[in-house]
Amino acid sequence: MERWVFITIIIAIYLAVTLTIGLLAGRKQTDSVAGYVAADRSFGLLVMYFVTGASVFSAFAFLGGPGWAYSQGAASFYILTYGALGMAPFYWVGPRIAKLGRRHGFVTQAQLITGRFPSKGLSALIAVLSLIAFVPYVTIQMRGAGIVIEAVTDGHVPLWLGALVAYGIVIAYVLSAGAMAVGWTNTFQGIFMIVIAWSLGLYLPYRLYGGIGPMFEGIREARPELLVPPGLTAAGEPWSWGAYSTFILVSAVGLMMWPHLFMKAFTAKNDDTLRRTVILFPTFQLFLIPVLLIGFSGVLFAGTPPSADFILPFMILETDLPPLVVGLFCAGALSASMSTGDALLHASASVVVEDGVMQFTKLDERRQRSLMQALVLLTGATAYWFALDPHSSLVLLLASAYGIISQFAPPVIAALYWRRATTSGAVAGLVAGIAVAVFFWQNPALKPFDMHEGVIGLLVHIPVLVGVSLATPAQDGRHVAAYVD
Amino acid sequence: MSLRTARALTALYFTLSLLTTTWPGMVPFARVEPMILGLPFSMAWVGMWLAGSVIVLWLLDRVERRHRDPDGGEG
Repeated sequence: MERWVFITIIIAIYLAVTLTIGLLAGRKQTDSVAGYVAADRSFGLLVMYFVTGASVFSAFAFLGGPGWAYSQGAASFYILTYGALGMAPFYWVGPRIAKLGRRHGFVTQAQLITGRFPSKGLSALIAVLSLIAFVPYVTIQMRGAGIVIEAVTDGHVPLWLGALVAYGIVIAYVLSAGAMAVGWTNTFQGIFMIVIAWSLGLYLPYRLYGGIGPMFEGIREARPELLVPPGLTAAGEPWSWGAYSTFILVSAVGLMMWPHLFMKAFTAKNDDTLRRTVILFPTFQLFLIPVLLIGFSGVLFAGTPPSADFILPFMILETDLPPLVVGLFCAGALSASMSTGDALLHASASVVVEDGVMQFTKLDERRQRSLMQALVLLTGATAYWFALDPHSSLVLLLASAYGIISQFAPPVIAALYWRRATTSGAVAGLVAGIAVAVFFWQNPALKPFDMHEGVIGLLVHIPVLVGVSLATPAQDGRHVAAYVD
Repeated sequence: MSLRTARALTALYFTLSLLTTTWPGMVPFARVEPMILGLPFSMAWVGMWLAGSVIVLWLLDRVERRHRDPDGGEG
């Protein structure tokens, strides 16, 4: 049998297993909106751990991480740093969010924010901003899946077909089973990602250089600039400390503000499950170390991939690994892509219906669910359309998505912890923060100290939120007491 | 250990982690030597803070659980 045929069969088996798990998972769930969006608040520790880990780490980490290590060296260390920082506060914040969710029936982030700060406009604004941040993120996942499949099948399965099949499956189980399917497929995919990353990340340096130490000693001789933070830019120039540091800051603040991750707090069975998930998260995150080692193993390797993001499939194909291993790796990369893509599609539909549409018309539960399913299809199709365009500048958009998403942090924190915050303050802060972030994204030359535009946005957002809140009348004490203990 | 102390120490750990992995706190540690477990020093440095956070959060959880009321309140 030809090598690529064998590999394709392994991928097909992997996809079939994923689809089966996804479809079977939905049978245990009720037909309600709480069922579709929040899995009836039923996830135990095992599922929560992998849902969180697998949805955080996407094709961007699995393909982009090694790509950064390969071409930008120590710049990639920033992705090791922000995860635990961003997650730790959720040890306390997570259970509070979950409690409010149970008390008021919240299933989305905007419902929590506008529960405390009632405003239809604010709710719709959050829905629109979430969608703007989501579409490029889904597109990246689809392209990632298509690229990997095209690379390992020697082009016999082109990008458009690989992405279509992988995401056809994702959409099938997200449509039929919602949050429950996302949970159980991510458990399966999360295990896959961890095993593949650790085994390849340790194997490649040994196979090629006789160990991790000898590999880095070699790089130190030939390319020492790669090993000293803040590393290099994509163009190979030295990166700035301002950018390195603020990337960590904005990613840590933004991490749990992604609606698809934030909403996971509403899916946990109980508070202990949530807290355990936070504690164990850094153990999942350690898998980024072997992921970066894979990228570093390409630095001194003869031959160059078509672009840095291809370094992982390139190394796999160039080192004559057995086809079984190549097939399994491909499944691991698909896992990374699909486990984030499904959560994104699912969350974007839930957010648009609950926070956008439902603010202006009333629909019964059955119609809401149908509308969400239609939106999953529509978002998927839009992202697929972008994914096929090789010239789309979506990578640039994605880098800025964190700038938008991080602006959700001040209103969330104010809603839960600051009695004196007002609706006007929350709206003014969010609008100011977004406006500043977008301005500096469009005018990067004006950024002070090369800071990430999201951080500059926050520097304006927070004083505006505080100032306008203090200048407007305080909220009714009983209303506030339901949110701030 | 009291709940207050445990929370303060956890906050201190993560504050130190942020300060020494960003500018200017990371500058003294942004170097290749000495290599640790085969990794360049700066990579081992950020990896150490990550691995340490598992232990710190686990210790925090032990203290928090001891102080929490049995019906799963917020403590």
